[in-house]
Amino acid sequence: MSVSAHPTHDAGTEPYQPVFTGKVLEELQALLGRYPTKQGALLPALWLVQQQRGWISDRNMTEVAAVLGLTPAYVKGVVTFYTMYHQHPVGQNFVQVCTTSPCNICGAEDVVRALLQATGAKELGATSPDGKWTVIEVECLGACGFATPVLINDDFLESVSPEKVPELVQRYR
Amino acid sequence: MGYPHKAHRKETTVLSKYFGDPEARSYKGWVKRGGYEAWRQALTLAPAAITDLVKESGLRGRGGAGFPTGLKWSFMPKEKKKPHYLCVNADESEPGTFKDREIMRWTPHALLEGTAIAMRAIQAEVGYIYIRGEFTEPYAIMGQALAEANAARAFGDLKIHLHRGAGAYICGEETALMNSIEGKRGNPRIKPPFPAAFGVFGMPTTINNVETLAAVPPILTNGPAWYKKLSLSNPKSTGTKLFSVCGHVQKPGNYELTMGFPLKDLLYELCGGMRPGRTLKACIPGGSSVPILDRAETEACLLDYEGAVERGTMLGSGGVIVFDDSADMVYQIMRLARFYAHESCAQCTQCREGTAWTTKILERILAGQGKATDLDLLLDLSDNMTGKTICVLSDSCAAPVVSGIKKFRGEFEDYIAGRRRPVMVA
Amino acid sequence: MADGAVNLTIDGMPVSAPPGTLLIEAAKQAGVLVPHYCYHPGLPVAGLCRMCLVEVEKAPKLQIACATQVAEGMVVHTQSAQAKSARMGVLELLLINHPLDCPICDQAGECELQDFTFQEGRPATRYSPDYAKRFNPVEDFGPDVLYVPNRCILCTRCVRFMEDVTKEPVLNVSERGDRAFIGIHPEARLDHPWAGNVVDLCPVGSLLSKDFLHKARAWELDKTASVCTGCSQGCNVTLDTRDNVVVRVRPRPNLLVNRYFICDHGRMNYRWMNRGDRIEAPLVKRAGAELQAVDWDEALERTAGLLRGAGGRAVTLASPRMSTEALFLMRELCAGLDWTGAVQIVMGEEAPLAGVPNLALRPERAPNGTAAELLGYGRDYAAALQAAESAAVVLVLDEPEVTIRTAGALIYLGTVLPEGARDAAVVLPIANVAEEEGTFVNRDGRVQRYFQAKPAPGMARPAWWVLAELLTALGREGGESLTGPGAAFDRLARSVGPFAGLSYASLGAAGQAITPAIGATA
Repeated sequence: MSVSAHPTHDAGTEPYQPVFTGKVLEELQALLGRYPTKQGALLPALWLVQQQRGWISDRNMTEVAAVLGLTPAYVKGVVTFYTMYHQHPVGQNFVQVCTTSPCNICGAEDVVRALLQATGAKELGATSPDGKWTVIEVECLGACGFATPVLINDDFLESVSPEKVPELVQRYR
Repeated sequence: MGYPHKAHRKETTVLSKYFGDPEARSYKGWVKRGGYEAWRQALTLAPAAITDLVKESGLRGRGGAGFPTGLKWSFMPKEKKKPHYLCVNADESEPGTFKDREIMRWTPHALLEGTAIAMRAIQAEVGYIYIRGEFTEPYAIMGQALAEANAARAFGDLKIHLHRGAGAYICGEETALMNSIEGKRGNPRIKPPFPAAFGVFGMPTTINNVETLAAVPPILTNGPAWYKKLSLSNPKSTGTKLFSVCGHVQKPGNYELTMGFPLKDLLYELCGGMRPGRTLKACIPGGSSVPILDRAETEACLLDYEGAVERGTMLGSGGVIVFDDSADMVYQIMRLARFYAHESCAQCTQCREGTAWTTKILERILAGQGKATDLDLLLDLSDNMTGKTICVLSDSCAAPVVSGIKKFRGEFEDYIAGRRRPVMVA
Repeated sequence: MADGAVNLTIDGMPVSAPPGTLLIEAAKQAGVLVPHYCYHPGLPVAGLCRMCLVEVEKAPKLQIACATQVAEGMVVHTQSAQAKSARMGVLELLLINHPLDCPICDQAGECELQDFTFQEGRPATRYSPDYAKRFNPVEDFGPDVLYVPNRCILCTRCVRFMEDVTKEPVLNVSERGDRAFIGIHPEARLDHPWAGNVVDLCPVGSLLSKDFLHKARAWELDKTASVCTGCSQGCNVTLDTRDNVVVRVRPRPNLLVNRYFICDHGRMNYRWMNRGDRIEAPLVKRAGAELQAVDWDEALERTAGLLRGAGGRAVTLASPRMSTEALFLMRELCAGLDWTGAVQIVMGEEAPLAGVPNLALRPERAPNGTAAELLGYGRDYAAALQAAESAAVVLVLDEPEVTIRTAGALIYLGTVLPEGARDAAVVLPIANVAEEEGTFVNRDGRVQRYFQAKPAPGMARPAWWVLAELLTALGREGGESLTGPGAAFDRLARSVGPFAGLSYASLGAAGQAITPAIGATA
């Protein structure tokens, strides 16, 4: 049988810079007050990490675990469950396009193709050569009457059509 | 109001009156529009009295299950021995549904007010509003509204917190939602125990949908009798419902209708009918987890809980997905199966493996490699996936497959027999 | 029928159980095994494999037996068409991604997926050969555990064991849907002292022991009930032997001692049972010459002679891996002499199993220190060695780690012959724990039987037999009646206070506590 070593996304040769210091730590402490257990603050804490670093590395998970009294494995199990947490770096503009049926029948796949073309990302999930774009298909974004909705980082855009894509991409470039 | 359209005269605008009105978002703006009157009224009532009012109104859960709201509230312990919690389900992820988003981004205070009243009714001091991670705009607006309300000490000692989800449809299931708030994977729990006995953090909990709670203030100010009278067909379905219409109609959007409204009128009148040259082929009236209706059934369907059941489907979340004759039903059902396969939490064998296998079979059919036995296999798989799991995601995957094969069998057979060109690569 | 007991019917058979009993447990009373994977009596209920779905009359849907409590008048059918169809469905779905690894999988022959599929699965899969099965490489989780993701059925027993029984959640479920697998953080290893249990818990060949990898096929193994010799906890184990070699140690359930688990120290503590450098014949030192092999008659005769002639001090140096019977008969043998007995006990780090009360790898790395103490043996081995120097006769019961010097006669009963005992006048080969039947007394005063798993090498005999023969040779009373370890134990029970009331027969397979229960020894 072939045996693999563990895939490490974060090579971790440089000294680790903690996320939860200063203002970020203050934010976390405020969050902790909302839940009767430290564990309750896990999802918000992971959002804080992603906001600061753009993604959540294995070492970040170890830090979050230490701060909340959990094990790194436990945190990792949670991170890998929720698809919005990035486990590796993504393009500067992270683009999520809904292609579930209600948007699908309104041309969502054409929007995806247009975006892949216009951004230079070419493939779903890949980052464009200039590092500025990653485009993925996602499931229902809850804006079905405004097909096709597109989430670019935190901007929720409605009624995107293939014709609107070039101007949109230009705006964010 | 069918935002972004103006309210149609046949709509009954209770929840949607101020959709599109940016001033309604602010605390001051909401108070000017009569907001927080119901909350003041609730403060004069005993918790049990509030529950009775809601019971009498006939309000049923608007998230999809349609469970009588007052009855759900009455499951909470009357004698308070432990902290009670309210969880607001703003995880809106059911394909075809986009009403809670509108409530939150246009009338955030309606939700806050309804939340506070519910918390008083169930004797909860802490409430969590679980907003799906992708709803960045509603999250920001709710945050702003909450800050303003707290600054005005609107809710006294009640603590309402926003909790942001991170991309999981299954967290809209009430027990998975609770696990997610607790900082765990969003796995649904086996029941019993039920949330009212052992809920979030092990404490008595009630979970309510956004639209359900937004309906509570009007019920208090106008009285339950008023709400009960809003019923066009079956007296067990009262009040108004926001129907999110999407897909192949001229004017998609949210339409607020009195319960029992004819689906036919909604589609052809309010939504402006089909696109030019197109005819209605299929409609899913309650979000993708309910059986698909063909044209005849759609045109005969009344939009309330019983009316939908009569047509062999369910009202569900009221997400109305419309397919005209240009839609490839096989492809769309595959796409729905793929949705469920992506969202399965992985606990139950039938769901974890069955949703993926169902998707693979449909993909193969679309790639021109379908076999004659595939349809029976899909139906047998769907039967295996129904009524046997911790939650109903598995059943929800089976619903479009079973109803799709039943009512659009010809389209499947066309692919299998090679009469239709493949649209996918194996 | 007990007061408050719930009466129900399972597969037509009346069953009576205390309120709160799960259907899956109540069914065992009716002799019905409800097929299941994720359920385990030692773990919290998960209810997610859906294999144990049964039909309950009046219930709208099938119910999982592992999470449904008995109710008065409940009528349950585990073999109805619906229930069987549901199980067949689960099995088919588990097998669509599960590779046909049986020919190379360690679990074959003791695999619950094989068993239930053979029992009620589909004869052939309907999963198209066009689909590739998933391929993920094997992962090395840590010191002894390998994870084969392709075979995993995601029952989560391993995750729940680490989370709820060891209280160290080192394993997780990663990803979602059919992409899910059991994960571990890259910086972590599965090196918890009790982690090896996940291999036993895994119903299929997904979690494997590197120690046992490809060593034997399950059907080649003979299984024998025994007691772990790793420490004084006295965990019940099963010794698996293949062609008379111990190849694996697994826990044997005992709800009062180790529940369903053993620690890794005990799990790996068996290679010494297979040592090849054993003493295979009795040896005596003929005048001036080296030790020579002789037959038992001569050896026993010589030993008896040495004992008969001994006046003054006798010292016994014993290994605490000796059976209670051997320790007792040794003391009997030295009756009438000025006797000092001592056991040599090595100490180590304690490693509790956090989620189970009173269960730990104990610092006292010896299975029978308690019996030794009750029988008058001391702990000060060094002092006894000192006393041995001037003793008239020194009797050793196995494997001293040190050199024994004595002016008197050294009689050595042992499994191996270390350098430090080469001055012995007589060497009598004895069986080790896997080669005899006997008892140990654990730290809580529980007397537990162990059984013979393999034959002793050459002419080696159990220590109790050697000592019984010596008693007979010396003309001691009742020597002839010591026909077996049971007889020795019963004699012990009659004469040593704390053991009063016990009998070899009453010990059974789960053991019995000495009363009054003694306090825990170190």
